[in-house]
Amino acid sequence: MTSVRLLVVEDDIAIQRLLIRALKEAGYQVDTADTAAAAEPLIMKGVHDAYIIDLGLPDGDGLELIQRCRTQGSTAPVLILSARRSVNERVRGLEQGGDDYLTKPFALAELLARLRNLLRHAVPIPKESLRLRVGDLQLDLVRREAYRNSQPLRLTPQEFVLLEYLYRNAGRVVTRAMILKNVWQMRIDPATNVVDVHIYRLRNKVDSEGDQPLIHTIRGVGYVLKLP
Amino acid sequence: MFSNFLRGPRDTAAWRLSIWTTLAFAVGTALAFLVIYLLVENSVRERTDAWLSGEAEVLSNVAMNTPQDSLYNRIVEEVAELATREIPAENSENGQNQKSIFFAETAERQPPLWIGPEPRKAFLTAIDRAHLTPGMPQSIYVNDFPIPFRVVASGKERGTLVYLGLIDRSAISLLDKLVHRFLEVWAGMVLLGFVISYASAHRTLSRIERIAETVARIGSNDLGSRLPEAGNSDEISRLSRTFNHMLDRIQASVNQVRTVTDSVAHDLKSPVTWIRGRLEATLSDDDDTSWREPVAEAIEGLDQMAELLNTTLDLAEAAGGALHIERALIDMTSLVRQLIDLYQPVFAERQIALETEFHEDVTVDGDVAFLNRVLGNLLDNELNHLPKACHVYITLKQLDEFAELKIEDDGPGFSPDLRQRAFDRFVKGKQSAGHGLGLAFVHAIVRAHGGDVSISDRPGGGAVIVLSLPRGNKDRRS
Repeated sequence: MTSVRLLVVEDDIAIQRLLIRALKEAGYQVDTADTAAAAEPLIMKGVHDAYIIDLGLPDGDGLELIQRCRTQGSTAPVLILSARRSVNERVRGLEQGGDDYLTKPFALAELLARLRNLLRHAVPIPKESLRLRVGDLQLDLVRREAYRNSQPLRLTPQEFVLLEYLYRNAGRVVTRAMILKNVWQMRIDPATNVVDVHIYRLRNKVDSEGDQPLIHTIRGVGYVLKLP
Repeated sequence: MFSNFLRGPRDTAAWRLSIWTTLAFAVGTALAFLVIYLLVENSVRERTDAWLSGEAEVLSNVAMNTPQDSLYNRIVEEVAELATREIPAENSENGQNQKSIFFAETAERQPPLWIGPEPRKAFLTAIDRAHLTPGMPQSIYVNDFPIPFRVVASGKERGTLVYLGLIDRSAISLLDKLVHRFLEVWAGMVLLGFVISYASAHRTLSRIERIAETVARIGSNDLGSRLPEAGNSDEISRLSRTFNHMLDRIQASVNQVRTVTDSVAHDLKSPVTWIRGRLEATLSDDDDTSWREPVAEAIEGLDQMAELLNTTLDLAEAAGGALHIERALIDMTSLVRQLIDLYQPVFAERQIALETEFHEDVTVDGDVAFLNRVLGNLLDNELNHLPKACHVYITLKQLDEFAELKIEDDGPGFSPDLRQRAFDRFVKGKQSAGHGLGLAFVHAIVRAHGGDVSISDRPGGGAVIVLSLPRGNKDRRS
């Protein structure tokens, strides 16, 4: 992670600062640009592993910047930030060279997850092992079974998928929207505690009494699977 | 009104309209008169001509049957004199007779026999030039006589031709009178027609003028004004009514925009207030360890605000018809089943029984992402409004053209007032904790799909929401 270098193109100083701080904390090297004009020569250097580009730049549409860079041969993944939420806008953004699209306001956890996802596409990483382990929790991805202290947990298939998602992001916070999108493949925004109820149920099975709790609630953000 | 009537009339449509109407009227009546004139002329001539032909016949017979001796001229002259006296109108103008009628008999011998006004030479030349066919009367102009003569030729054996001519005065004067009278009446009629058509056009068009003035006066601050609607249903009344309907719609949507703006502002103000207060209290708290809880609450509050903004924007987009729906053939049965699987634990937690009955392979032509949100909203709605121990029945059926999703519950149901406006934005029940956007969103999305959604009472208490979505066409699957 240490050598991954990002370019953030964002004119809103408050958001720029927030991104710099969060990304640096996550271990990335960060360069910034306020305008499309300032960003273009930086992109041309070709030293960045990914770009985070805001669409509403003062000197032009971020989409044009992305398109220009793409036509000049830049291949690093682009995460588009936008205040515009319209579906058409999203489609256009992705068609014109963006790799992912995040609308403001967003959770930092989600931004980091999306970024990891993009970098994983871009930078090949070693194939994941088929057996995963956090503390005394073990997942067998082939048999679709989970063990705690070598005792099998009775999980429904859905619960296993949920646990696997938490597992793959072990140590990192995932939001409810991320869970819904990645576990249920739904982009919905429930007005009820739908996800929480599933997590409670899973937690009851995974963190039974006497065990060290592994699934933690980060209030206001989401959940994380980690050793305490 | 009267000053209006005269004010710059040339710029008005009423003026132009009445000019054209009057012109058409004038030309039309003139043509009608022309036809009448020709008919009258014809019939007047016919009378004169019949008399002329008859007399000429008699005279030519007399001329033929009288022996060509020394008495011949006298006899023929006498008969001709008698004949010329037969016209009463001419007789009354004594002395004029000689000038208004003539008789000529030409034969090989010269000079021709002549009874009539002088100089006979001019008459005989004119007759000669005319080449009259016997029996066919003709108008001939003779020098010095402004009025033409009707002349008929008749008879002839032994090269003798008899000509009888009668001045055309009576016909001409009758026709002249006709033309004069017509012109007088016509001028009056045209003037009157112009005045009437201008007045009526002006009256009609001034109603349009009033509409224009009223509409111009209606600004965004005065959307309550309406145009007066006349009792009848002519075009202008219809125009007024159409304008009024348009104003009704504009007023409704402006009011709706105001409601939306007010509601968004109101719904944002209260979380902003409590988030601010909570953080302020945390800052002034000396205990450095107790910040987690308020910060988490603040984030949750901000998430709610973001959700409100997003849904409002989505709804605005949907209402503006700008929604981009990516249609595909959707297996509705499994889509509903997935959502039920997601929501089932929450229903169980709140002790609400969820029963389902699905037809298999129900298909819909729609957008997965939006339909997921629609179903999510409906299920959230049930969860948020049903007390414990209620039942929810969900059925999914494939009908001919539509897939029908029915969500029934035995909860408190909708109040009649609420049921009518349930799909409007920011309309919510008194106990509702939401923003009143859920059902509005459902409605907008289903409509954008070409489907429909309705709310009714369930017999025995509770509510029924029926969603119908256009059926997907399996043949289209490639």
